[in-house]
Amino acid sequence: MKKEDLFAKLRQGTCQQFDMPKEPVKGIVYDDVAKQFIEMSKTVGAKVIEVSPDDDLNETIRAAYPEAKVFASNVEGVKADRNPDAVAEAADLNGTDVGIIKGVFGVAENGCVWIPQTMKERSVCFISEELVILLDRNSLVNNMHEAYKQVEMTEYGYGVFISGPSKTADIEQSLVMGAQAARGVTVILIG
Amino acid sequence: MATSHSKKAAEFLKNPEKITRHDQTFWSVREKRDKMAAMLPEWEDLREHASQIKQHTVTHLADYLEQFANNLEKNGVIVHWAKDAQEFNEIAYGILETHKVKKLVKSKSMLTEECEMNDYLIERGIDVVETDLGERIIQLMNLKPAHIVMPAIHLMRDEVGEMFEEKGISTEEGNHDPTFLTQCARYSLREEFIEAEAGMTGCNFGVAATGDCVICTNEGNADMSTSIPKLHIVSMGIEKVIPDYDALAVFQRLLCRCGTGQPTTTFTSHFRKARPDGEMHVILVDNGRSDMIANDTHWKTLKCIRCGACMNTCPVYRRSMGYSYSYFIPGPIGVNLGMLKDPQKHSGNVSACSLCLSCDHVCPTKVEPGSQIYNWRQELEAFGTENKEKKLMANGMRTVFENYALYDTLLKSSSIVNYVPRKLFETKLNAWGIGHEMMQFPKKPFHQIYKQAMKELKEKK
Ligand code: SF4
Repeated sequence: MKKEDLFAKLRQGTCQQFDMPKEPVKGIVYDDVAKQFIEMSKTVGAKVIEVSPDDDLNETIRAAYPEAKVFASNVEGVKADRNPDAVAEAADLNGTDVGIIKGVFGVAENGCVWIPQTMKERSVCFISEELVILLDRNSLVNNMHEAYKQVEMTEYGYGVFISGPSKTADIEQSLVMGAQAARGVTVILIG
Repeated sequence: MATSHSKKAAEFLKNPEKITRHDQTFWSVREKRDKMAAMLPEWEDLREHASQIKQHTVTHLADYLEQFANNLEKNGVIVHWAKDAQEFNEIAYGILETHKVKKLVKSKSMLTEECEMNDYLIERGIDVVETDLGERIIQLMNLKPAHIVMPAIHLMRDEVGEMFEEKGISTEEGNHDPTFLTQCARYSLREEFIEAEAGMTGCNFGVAATGDCVICTNEGNADMSTSIPKLHIVSMGIEKVIPDYDALAVFQRLLCRCGTGQPTTTFTSHFRKARPDGEMHVILVDNGRSDMIANDTHWKTLKCIRCGACMNTCPVYRRSMGYSYSYFIPGPIGVNLGMLKDPQKHSGNVSACSLCLSCDHVCPTKVEPGSQIYNWRQELEAFGTENKEKKLMANGMRTVFENYALYDTLLKSSSIVNYVPRKLFETKLNAWGIGHEMMQFPKKPFHQIYKQAMKELKEKK
């Protein structure tokens, strides 16, 4: 089909035209954004660890996953066995116990964390059994309206809001973590 | 008097346990939605915005599609336009064939269901693997989705467990624990993701200002399907385009709260470009949507964001299940979409509505599916699919109501009905007799009692 034909048909067929709403939505605002974010993260199944900027992140991560063997990350200063920038194929990251990535900001109303692609193989965010998201405490916003004002894409042209571990309720409505992507998510809130 | 819907529903109602479970499951989802709504003081404001943004966008659709496609192309995405299901399937197959794809992993898309793409591709030798767990279960059982958000929710764990054993996905006989079964599916699907040469996703929202395709899932299967294979095909109905990120914020907040009662989907994924060394295609599909726009009464149906809330709340859907409807999308919105697609074929669904309008109240974009069903009922005569018996009865009633003398006489004698043997009412001819008790007619009509009461009142004064 030629797009011009479709456009002509749509323009001709439209019965009546409407304007955009004038005022924006006033989104909910919380007294304590961090408290709400932490609460929501737990509600959606994530763990939250609060650390200060001076704490040793590698120690924190190892302590949170004492049994994990294979770590993958390209975050500066994070010790890892695999680097998503250096693997030949996305599938080479299969078998990763813990993937460690950086979030840009978190949303208090629903526990979403914005993760733009900053690595060659983004599969590290999904294929890892467990996912650790590093997040600055000062980056939290109240709601999605504020969030989308801040969303910026990297050159890779991909980004995702993640809110807790992959989950499903497809079998008899019982909630199961780890349907396809990470079975568990730990947000490390720094600051 | 039975319609195609009520006949099929009667089949399912033979299993009262299953229907009760179905009813309760979806009602609990509706309750979760209510809780979510109550947590946001701006809830009604959000709905009103969603409705206005949608009515603006769909009535300026050509402009936004143009902007969207331009931005996609600027980012190196290849854009295709499909007039109908046939064209869509041909384009999808064409892309896959050029890349010599043998296996396609697919994240749930109702559009590919609408175009019956799976069968088309499978016939041509492509292994299509559904990756949403519910959708995968349905595919392996050769069934169709019974709900747009929870496609396999009508099945029991034993049915899934036995099928997994049969297909070798689970090796532990008799273990039908949902967590165990989900893990089995996880391992089996992982192999599929790694083997596949292409991934296909639907698209919940296309953002015109940036050229993002936004896909919302809880399982992360859209991301798995597109972060391992290098070829990504997006199948998208033209009504999915919205203006910008500000608008997206409104819909992102509503979609999941309304659909499943969660504060958000776990993954809200934005695709703007192909993967490094990869290719991204977007197929924009009309398949009747440009005709809907031109329908003065029903163009509003295009505002739908497919959250499924209207199904979850619908007393008829909850008690008759998805397969009772002749159109592949069930529930209030499905009744409307079916009528727009082919009224002759799907008018049997129009009866599947009690006009309680619960769907109008929960719909995040104010599609008013229930009110629209009411309108369809007024239009049935034009398609020659109106119910002849009801029409006859309605005409009879009109004769009675328009003629006071006749009405009065009938009322005076109505209590005679009380003496008619019950058996006579319980014939198959009287569809109302099924499942209903015959009412007791009062000895005196209300009018007489009223008149007498007024007279007595006057006399007392
Ligand atoms: S009609 Fe409204 S409630 Fe029903 S699926 Fe569409 S958006 Fe949701």
